[in-house]
Amino acid sequence: MSAPQEAVCRSVAFDGGLLTITATRRPRAGRADVKCSVPGAPQLAERMQQVVRLARHTEARFDSRDQVVLGLDRAPPGDWRDWELAAVLADRMVRGLYAPRGAVTANGWSDAWHLGRIDGRALLNVPAGVLAGGPGGLPHLGALNGQPDPAAGVSSARAWFPLHSGGEQDRLGWVEVSVRPLAGAHEEDVPAVPDLDPVRGAEVGAVLQAARHFDGRGQGQWRTTVRFGEPRFQGDSYQFALVMADRIARGREFLARGRVIATGCSSAWHAGKVEAVDALQAKCALIAREAAPGDRVLLPKEWEAGLQAGLIAGLRDELRARGASLACVERIGII
Amino acid sequence: MFGSLLKNSLRFSLHRPTRQPDFDAARLGVTALALQAPNGSAVPPGCAAVLVDRNGRSRRLAAGGRIAAHEGELAWCVHPGPYSCELSPFAAAPEIGLRVSIAIDASDPRATHQRFDLFLASEGGDGVELAQFSAAMQTALQRELAQGNLDLPPCTTLEEWNAFRAGFNQLMYTRFGVMVDDCVPVDLGAARDYAQVLETRLAQQEQQQAARVARPDIAAPAAVQEAFIPACEDARALRRLFLELPCLMCAIRLAALPAGQEQFRQQQELLRRLDLVSLAVGTMPALELSAPNQPLAQQEQLRRARHSRRAAAALDEAWALLARIKTGGEIALAPLFDEAERIVANLEHETAGRRSVTLDEREEVPA
Repeated sequence: MSAPQEAVCRSVAFDGGLLTITATRRPRAGRADVKCSVPGAPQLAERMQQVVRLARHTEARFDSRDQVVLGLDRAPPGDWRDWELAAVLADRMVRGLYAPRGAVTANGWSDAWHLGRIDGRALLNVPAGVLAGGPGGLPHLGALNGQPDPAAGVSSARAWFPLHSGGEQDRLGWVEVSVRPLAGAHEEDVPAVPDLDPVRGAEVGAVLQAARHFDGRGQGQWRTTVRFGEPRFQGDSYQFALVMADRIARGREFLARGRVIATGCSSAWHAGKVEAVDALQAKCALIAREAAPGDRVLLPKEWEAGLQAGLIAGLRDELRARGASLACVERIGII
Repeated sequence: MFGSLLKNSLRFSLHRPTRQPDFDAARLGVTALALQAPNGSAVPPGCAAVLVDRNGRSRRLAAGGRIAAHEGELAWCVHPGPYSCELSPFAAAPEIGLRVSIAIDASDPRATHQRFDLFLASEGGDGVELAQFSAAMQTALQRELAQGNLDLPPCTTLEEWNAFRAGFNQLMYTRFGVMVDDCVPVDLGAARDYAQVLETRLAQQEQQQAARVARPDIAAPAAVQEAFIPACEDARALRRLFLELPCLMCAIRLAALPAGQEQFRQQQELLRRLDLVSLAVGTMPALELSAPNQPLAQQEQLRRARHSRRAAAALDEAWALLARIKTGGEIALAPLFDEAERIVANLEHETAGRRSVTLDEREEVPA
């Protein structure tokens, strides 16, 4: 994995300005694994070191060869803790574990960094483009890749799908499925979809219902909430991503190391079938642009068989070179 | 009088060799892969006996024989199986799993050292229960998947499944010395209902919340520490390192054939460093002493034991890396050498930490 020598992560400060955390990496040479400095506030530097060390407990790979030096450009007041998330992300960025596109501004604090949980943020009005930790934003570190929190009582997972309008605005949108056990309560398990109008909400409900019917489990078990990152979209190519997010949230699907990016719809989710959608070429180009290492791209099988088979093969090679993978799927579920 | 009786019985039990009193051959092949057998007992039909001396050298006896252990040798009876167990490849996805069928091979005449015998020598203890063994297999699998060395993505295709199987089989053979006969993905929804798991978790969280509201003066409980007995953990980890490092070095020398002069030098350097780690393990000071006759503080003992546990984890990673080298295929050797360097650096770091008397972190090197 290629890691940068230096990474910068910002955080909105108590006074509305920006705090900058700079992380650099150098050979360890017998020194501490993390060294932190905050001008004029040694206790704060100590807390930062503790935060970063705790957050590293959620990582799978341990490397003792490097020392990461983190520096905060000015000292916030002692009770301001929103820089914690930025410190954790800077530490991951400089070691190549988190490779965001573009600059990151993040706010969030936690009492349980060792579980990867983010408890909240002090920032009340979150400006656009700021990664906000805590409920309603980024609830734990794994959620950066859409993965469910293995310690939470409510399981939620995200999957991404290409939003294509044929212009500069093309990007990946996400759909998030949160499930909470019904615990024997006799409620109707109609998914709540607060972001969409009732007609489309019912559509989402029908897709989930049919896919769970195919699965054979999950009917009448869960209270489900579905949220969309960008609620203004057309078409039904989001369906495959929705079904995958639901399966991951219910703990019934293998996990990717990165995000799951899927596009596809179906007229027969109750049979688990995945069917083709429009705009193959544009979506492939978009995915090729956006995919990061570890991501899993899922496309309808029909695309592979058609005239555009060469395009799919090219995309597969490109993704593999970047550390992501692609599969063309005819049917969901275990092979 | 009762006191003296008690003392006597206590002394008696302390001086008795720590053998399992009942060697129940009926459990072999069902719930246990191997059980420590008393000297002089017969090897049950269908089983083999593995005898290991103090330095980890092992020999096997066929069924029907009688165990005659030399001085310092320990004997286990091993049933070749097959055994079946269910593994969860991802902790966050409890309803999807793998049903795995494993068997222990007869000794391979090409190998100088049987991996399963080494496993018994270093981790065998009183015996190897199936439940405990499958938990170890699951941990090894989950770690490899989390690090991205094995891949089991959503909607796995057939080719990806085959690649996973090859890697998984090799991992199990290299790390534990067992053959994977069969491995299929299964739906564990009926046995491990995720909704129920979450329900209990929510109930617990509500309880904690209520407790915190009732007694706000008590701070939130710190991270619950798992049961951890420093002396046992440390002894187990050091035994593993002492016995397994020489075999690992030998296997790496054979498996990773360097492609050129540069890589040859790299490999020699790695082996030299591993040799030093092995030497450090062999001469490791006692856990509870800071100097001869000077006891060490409990806190520092705990720190030392954590270091040796992490060194054992690095050893696991080294076995997994060896499995990847052996699986071969089109993987380039260069990134594997980098991975090996990371693991050796971690081993050096942890053994140095285990050796040190206090936590000494040099904050800054004077310029």
